[in-house]
Amino acid sequence: MARVLVAMSGGVDSSVAAALLKEQGHEVIGVTMQVWDYTQDECNVEEGSGTCCSSIDVDDARAVADHLDIPFYVMNCETEFKAKVIDNFVDTYLKGDTPIPCVNCNTYLKFDHLIKKMEELNCDYIATGHYAQVIDGQIYTSSDDWKDQTYFLFTLQPELLGRILFPVGDWKKPELRKYAEEKGLPVFNKKDSVGICFIGKKGYQGFIEEHADPAKLKPGVIRHIETGEEIARHTGVHRFTIGQRKGVGIATGDAAYVIKIEPQTGTVYVGSEKHLMSSEAYVRDINNLDNIHDGETLTVKIRYSHRGSEAKVVTAAGGLKKLEFTEPQRAVTTGQAAVFYRGSQLVGGGWITQCPN
Amino acid sequence: MKLEDQAFNLRDEGRVYLDHNATTPVASALIPQINKWLGAWGNPSSIHQSGRGPKALMREARRQISEALGVSQLELVFTSGGSESNNHVLRGAVEKELASEKPRKTLIISSVEHPAIRVTAESLAARYSLKLISIPVSRDGELDRDFYEKALSDDVFLVSIMAANNETGHIFPIQALAEKAHAVGASFHTDAVQALGKIPVSLKEWDVDLASFSGHKFYALKGSGLLYTKKGVNLPSLIEGGAQERHRRAGTENALAIASLGYMATQLEFLSERMSQMTELRDSMESQILEKISGVQITGPQGLRLPSTSSMNIEGIDGETLLMNLDIEGFSVSTGAACSSGNPEPSPVLLAMGFSRAEAQRSLRVGLGWGNTQGDIDSFVTCLEKVVTRVRGLSGGSDG
Repeated sequence: MARVLVAMSGGVDSSVAAALLKEQGHEVIGVTMQVWDYTQDECNVEEGSGTCCSSIDVDDARAVADHLDIPFYVMNCETEFKAKVIDNFVDTYLKGDTPIPCVNCNTYLKFDHLIKKMEELNCDYIATGHYAQVIDGQIYTSSDDWKDQTYFLFTLQPELLGRILFPVGDWKKPELRKYAEEKGLPVFNKKDSVGICFIGKKGYQGFIEEHADPAKLKPGVIRHIETGEEIARHTGVHRFTIGQRKGVGIATGDAAYVIKIEPQTGTVYVGSEKHLMSSEAYVRDINNLDNIHDGETLTVKIRYSHRGSEAKVVTAAGGLKKLEFTEPQRAVTTGQAAVFYRGSQLVGGGWITQCPN
Repeated sequence: MKLEDQAFNLRDEGRVYLDHNATTPVASALIPQINKWLGAWGNPSSIHQSGRGPKALMREARRQISEALGVSQLELVFTSGGSESNNHVLRGAVEKELASEKPRKTLIISSVEHPAIRVTAESLAARYSLKLISIPVSRDGELDRDFYEKALSDDVFLVSIMAANNETGHIFPIQALAEKAHAVGASFHTDAVQALGKIPVSLKEWDVDLASFSGHKFYALKGSGLLYTKKGVNLPSLIEGGAQERHRRAGTENALAIASLGYMATQLEFLSERMSQMTELRDSMESQILEKISGVQITGPQGLRLPSTSSMNIEGIDGETLLMNLDIEGFSVSTGAACSSGNPEPSPVLLAMGFSRAEAQRSLRVGLGWGNTQGDIDSFVTCLEKVVTRVRGLSGGSDG
């Protein structure tokens, strides 16, 4: 029997994680990170909408902890969340990149701040409701391919793996819901969380406009990628992401996609779909979880919903890695993560960045 | 009934409760009484016989409290608790003052009031363009008397200063403060929620115009509170729509909770024994902690304090971490005020007293009660020492 700190979001996955550990006879302590004070923004989150950081979710987590009869605490992590997740999210968009805040939340909140709390509370392990598996000190994808969340875990520090548990990583969602219902967990039929937890109905553009330094919201020009011709003006590069078609705001005959964003000049280049294809990409801040060797061909996911493509991972100048895709990829987007797999094993990853000049 | 006959076995199963400033357990001696009183479920205002039982409960409670506090029964208004009493005073006093011919516009409070005073006063001041003066309190828990005297003027209509602070336990010289307020023609209110059951509450000696009390900080049921209004002081009712409490507080009375408060008032007979018991335990706890654990500062130990309350600052470990660890080990304590939990801001009381944010975040509050024993204290100190040593030993610690 071990003492386990469980990060409980109020969703069904982490609730089942806590229930399973308790059933296995562990001493379970539940904790919820209160990360964003919705009372500051107008709270538009509807009950049961399944976002991961509203106070309704804190109440749900508490109800599950009560049901399981385990100690439960709410940790106020708003300051850390603002500094490590929100500010980075806003800055990344302002730089013309497209961020994934969930990775930073895992890196800096769950697997840093909470790891510290695990030690302070004399716990042997930390557990989360992630769909991922740790086998012999290595991370593997979840049994449920649809739910696999290893993409968000590529920054994990290898030395922590011996202290992390993913109790639902070998479950499939339908069985998990059934178990939650059988155990009488009050959240058994709560909707899955989709999208970014702190983005409400106003959408990410509205969020950025509310939270960015107004001086940094600069209007700019939309140009055609081939002709360089100015076709429209825009109110800020944060409104665009590579591959975006809707909302580009141009009445041209052909379908126009965002191909390139130049933050220095605030220029957004659009063009036809063929310009979206890339056969290579550059990646920075590589986390190497299991001896990735230079030139190794791995399966690479370039966004969460990507099913993965083969790429050769080659050392490039400036501490970067260059990905040479076997098949050209559509809409390789800076700011997203490129996550590396050897079969079903997560072996590392990094952040997609501009091509070095 | 004698002290030793009282069954104040106020223990959670397997736990040691040391957070009596947040709330107190219901006195076990009350439980059979409450069962009996539940039979008097009628509306005290009813003319028929079903109203007689609850009416009698209230009458008895009012008698018990007036005797225990040495005030007239007519001077007592039952409310739902401390926050309501405080709101009643501030809102009522402002309303009354603004309706007068030549209204005064200054309100004085201390910088360490409970939010029910501080926040209410701030919002009233903003809404009605009143001048709000907060009297500073030092790190030692002393109210700045010079500042207070300079702040008093013929523009002040109300002074509201707590009898004892909920976080540090510091006691303010209410009698002297009230005298100064009266000298400039201002009314004086004291939030005495933390004083009741811990120190003598001498309303007549203090000569205050208004005083707030809460049942659940005094081993009675939640939902019972009290407002003392000196004869001749008439404030408009906060809750309108009924003739209850002689038109001073509308709404069907919570007779059961009020009866429990009345019963507890009879226990003030043994207050001096309770006080010596709590003082002894508190002193034992503080000296053991200072002896066994390095880097601990008691908040204002030289100041006049409640016998039951100890606020301390433990280097190298934040209050939240400490609280969770102690909770898991079976000890209920508090960091900052209970009302602020879930709030990222450190205790406004400690900040107002001149402590840094980091110091305030490392604060721990122990609130002893009538049911605590030397065994509780000894096991608490042992556990605290163990937790502090272990957490300090972790790389980097958790210094907030």
